[in-house]
Amino acid sequence: MIPDYLESLARELDFDRSLSRCVRQEVEDHLWEAVAADATGNTPQAQQRAIASFGDARAIAAQFAVVSLARHTRRAAVAALLVIAGDLIAMKARVAWYATAQLAITDDMSALRGLVISIDRHAFWMSVIIGLGALAYIHSREIPAAFYPAYRRQLRRFSLLCRATASALVVSVLSDGLLTALQLRGMELSMEIWVAILTMAIEIACVGVLLLHIRRMTVRAASTAALVKT
Amino acid sequence: MLKGHLDMIVLAALAAAGSAHGYAVIEEIKRRSGGAFDLPEGTIYPALHRLEQAGLLKSTWTTADSGRRRRVYSLTRTGTRALVERRAVWKQFSDAIGGLLGGNRPRETPA
Repeated sequence: MIPDYLESLARELDFDRSLSRCVRQEVEDHLWEAVAADATGNTPQAQQRAIASFGDARAIAAQFAVVSLARHTRRAAVAALLVIAGDLIAMKARVAWYATAQLAITDDMSALRGLVISIDRHAFWMSVIIGLGALAYIHSREIPAAFYPAYRRQLRRFSLLCRATASALVVSVLSDGLLTALQLRGMELSMEIWVAILTMAIEIACVGVLLLHIRRMTVRAASTAALVKT
Repeated sequence: MLKGHLDMIVLAALAAAGSAHGYAVIEEIKRRSGGAFDLPEGTIYPALHRLEQAGLLKSTWTTADSGRRRRVYSLTRTGTRALVERRAVWKQFSDAIGGLLGGNRPRETPA
């Protein structure tokens, strides 16, 4: 009876595998201790009483889902800043490489280059500011006990901030891509080109990680809402 | 009503017990409240996880005498401070309600 209950609880918590494993162990310890403390000993009735006192697996999973969602949103905020830092390092590394390899900056298309650099700079710093705002916002809020309407509003605001951060970063990376293309156009495949392409790939991967976090957070919020509703 | 004060109840039980696993926290709550709180026991666990995430509790995994893995919780310094604050707020609230219901004047708070 207890193994069946644990199985159903673990299934309900399947949206977060590590949480599911950890909760299963904790609840298993709890239920068997409750059975051991029962006057009738280890009987089916004692197991049934322990499970009944513990509560409905789905209702408990719904409460855990809110805790898990809160943890993931905080992680997403930290990930956004790490991604921005990664992007900055890749960008600086590429510029440093141009200097080391003594790649001359061509004078033609300087007007376009100037415009793209300006867009890049503004978009990047906008992503930093909004990302910091998102982190400050989510960390200044208490972790809710349930999926309250106020918490849903918080999540919507936070999600909006994360999307704005990602959008600004995408613009910055696209600008970097264009600048890199301008820098490397006409050059033959060489070490210089591959280093620049590698740093661009790192920037794109960074943005991809952020978008993945945002998507996971959205999916998690939807599954929590569904679990709470039923 | 009880759910609104669950965090304070859990913190108080852990402060009394020192460090304890979920089952012991529940037993401590039952013992100290004279069995007044009839809450599904499973509700305590999400609260423990939430409080740990908020930095009010810390936990370690140990092995119980039964050989099962056991998660033991204890208060952090932040948790102890939070409990002191919540106790003060609760005392103020309880005095005020006591004054209203019992007709007694609530105790004056020192200036």
